[in-house]
Amino acid sequence: MSSIAKLTRRFVGILSLSTFLLLIVNFILLLVIASSQMPGAGPWTVARKTAEALRKTEDGYALSGEMARELDAENAWAVFIDDDTRQVAWHTENLPAEIPMAYTLSEISGLTRGYLADYPTFTGSAENGLVVVGFPKDRYWKHMNPAWDYDLIQNSPYILLAVIGVNVAVIFLIYVAANSRLLRSVKPIANGVQALPTQEPVYVRERGLLSDLARDINRTAEILQAQRAGLRKRETARADWISGVSHDIRTPLSMVMGYAGQLEEEPGLSEENRRKVSIIRQQSLKMKSLVNDLNLASKLEYDMQPLHPQPVNLVAVARQCAADFINADFSEIYPLEWNTAGSPAGCVINGDRDLLCRAVVNLLNNVRSHNPDGCRIFVEVRTEGGEACVAVEDDGAGITDEQLRKLRDAPHYRLSDYGTEEPCHGLGLRIVRQIVKAHHGSVDFDHGASGGFLATMRFPLRAGAGPVGRDPENPERQADGPPRP
Amino acid sequence: MDDRYLKNKRILLVDDEKAILDMVADFLREDGYTQVRTAGTAAEAVAAAEEWHPDFAVLDVMLPDGDGFSLFERLRRFTEMPMLFLTARGEDEDRIRGLGLGADDYMVKPFLPKEFLLRVGIILRRSFKGEDPLVRLAGSRVDFSRAEVVRDGERLPLTAKEFAILQALYRNAGRIVTIDQLCEAAWGENPFGYENSLMAHIRRIREKIETNPSRPVSLVTVKGLGYKLMLEGK
Repeated sequence: MSSIAKLTRRFVGILSLSTFLLLIVNFILLLVIASSQMPGAGPWTVARKTAEALRKTEDGYALSGEMARELDAENAWAVFIDDDTRQVAWHTENLPAEIPMAYTLSEISGLTRGYLADYPTFTGSAENGLVVVGFPKDRYWKHMNPAWDYDLIQNSPYILLAVIGVNVAVIFLIYVAANSRLLRSVKPIANGVQALPTQEPVYVRERGLLSDLARDINRTAEILQAQRAGLRKRETARADWISGVSHDIRTPLSMVMGYAGQLEEEPGLSEENRRKVSIIRQQSLKMKSLVNDLNLASKLEYDMQPLHPQPVNLVAVARQCAADFINADFSEIYPLEWNTAGSPAGCVINGDRDLLCRAVVNLLNNVRSHNPDGCRIFVEVRTEGGEACVAVEDDGAGITDEQLRKLRDAPHYRLSDYGTEEPCHGLGLRIVRQIVKAHHGSVDFDHGASGGFLATMRFPLRAGAGPVGRDPENPERQADGPPRP
Repeated sequence: MDDRYLKNKRILLVDDEKAILDMVADFLREDGYTQVRTAGTAAEAVAAAEEWHPDFAVLDVMLPDGDGFSLFERLRRFTEMPMLFLTARGEDEDRIRGLGLGADDYMVKPFLPKEFLLRVGIILRRSFKGEDPLVRLAGSRVDFSRAEVVRDGERLPLTAKEFAILQALYRNAGRIVTIDQLCEAAWGENPFGYENSLMAHIRRIREKIETNPSRPVSLVTVKGLGYKLMLEGK
């Protein structure tokens, strides 16, 4: 379920990123607001500066003009409490009436921490006394008991981290709770969509958040299924039709081929007539392979030819085909040379023996159809870089570069392209292609070394292929018992 | 080898196409077979088999009153004669079914008369070899019933492997039998890798059957592919 996993990963990623960004943004906002709260000096600084600006003169205490203007601007008032008398020894003009003129120690302690008659007050120590600056009542809010456990401050980094962790966990929980239902309903839909291209029938339960989508998928699946069935039916009908025709044509062809073959042997036949009969026989042979090929080609085309893969020794297959070819070559004008060096016992591939045989036979028949006057044929089986190769070459007429190019470029998925310009240059090689393709191999056509045609099939070797069976040095050790009667 | 005695075997041809029947009968007669009879339906075939006792039958698969496979089974109930399917049905399944029933061969139409006659000859030789135990080669005779080679009046016994190899060659006399087929005949399934052993056995067979083993005329090598057994006068 890779897309669901991807979706979840993506969601979680976005969530983590946004949480992190949110924290940073909040922090920045806090900084901005806090700094905008302090234009110029804070209240404690004002108090300190006031204390510094208060000078004792002969006429008593006096504040510098600049500081006095600053206090006025803040709408603040100030008093100076003498250390010894605890009396107000100096104050600004705008001192509210409710401010007392004498203080006890506890009152001083109170106004330092908090308020004096609801005015937020701040202190600064001056020579022989204490300056108290009072601001308008709605100017500052003061925290009266600013004391925390020492541990709390000491562990604050950890506590902060823990709080963030808990936050993140809570966010995830909320996310999972909110999304699991969505994911639960997405999952069957995703499964359904993924199953659509396969041949399997698809049904998604039409429930939950995305029941509309599920219904659409089911409808699509039904349509696809119906189309597939229709296509299959048509393909089957076509293949059946070809199969029927190729069956029906066999009996009349038997007569043509049979009598031509018999007539050719007639002793009293004139040379000219023998040549004509021979052509009839050759052409009927071509028709025979055409009929065979047509049927197999249509079956391979529509995947109606079941493959029975098993370990197959290509040397044995090619050898059998070559021997059959020689055995059936009564005219003896196609001498076949077996160029395989020794016997590569490791030439084992996974394949369908009958089909592989058919591919080799088709290559041999191809040589025969294009060289009616005979030629030499060379068959070679070899292993080459993890592949088993079967090469069939001849020294016959060969083909032109143009034909070779066409042959190589010929699309192997169209049945009708062959045999239009070059009669017979089609189905046989086409089947070779199809068989090779079904075995995950490749086929290449080229000019032969002696001017003829060269076809090379390559198949992947079977994993772990090696010599099968034994080849004991001494055959006497074999079970050479008493002869069978 | 003298196979004249085979030409007197009774051969029954079954096919729904009269033209094919006439043609095949013609081929057989021209090749020297003297007793050939034809049947157009399964019923006719069974009747002919019961009354005439043929030695060999050629069956079509598509018959107007049933298929050749069931005809084969009906005939098999009362006769052991070899049978060959000659049919337009060329599918692998059909071929496998026919051979699976125990048919001696399966040929798909259309066919060349030469090939048909060769295959008929092979089946008859294989089935009735007991009647002519001595197989005639250029320099010797092979007595398969006793697993012996007779050369210049001397009897040379064949080992089991030599016997199996020679028999496989004889059954396909005149045709190339591949190395793999010979190995399979001698060593059974999975016969790869026995080629050197096969060569040793072939050498010893030649020592027994050939007048000059280094220049063989009966057991001929077809380079790289296999061997061919040439019968005398062929």
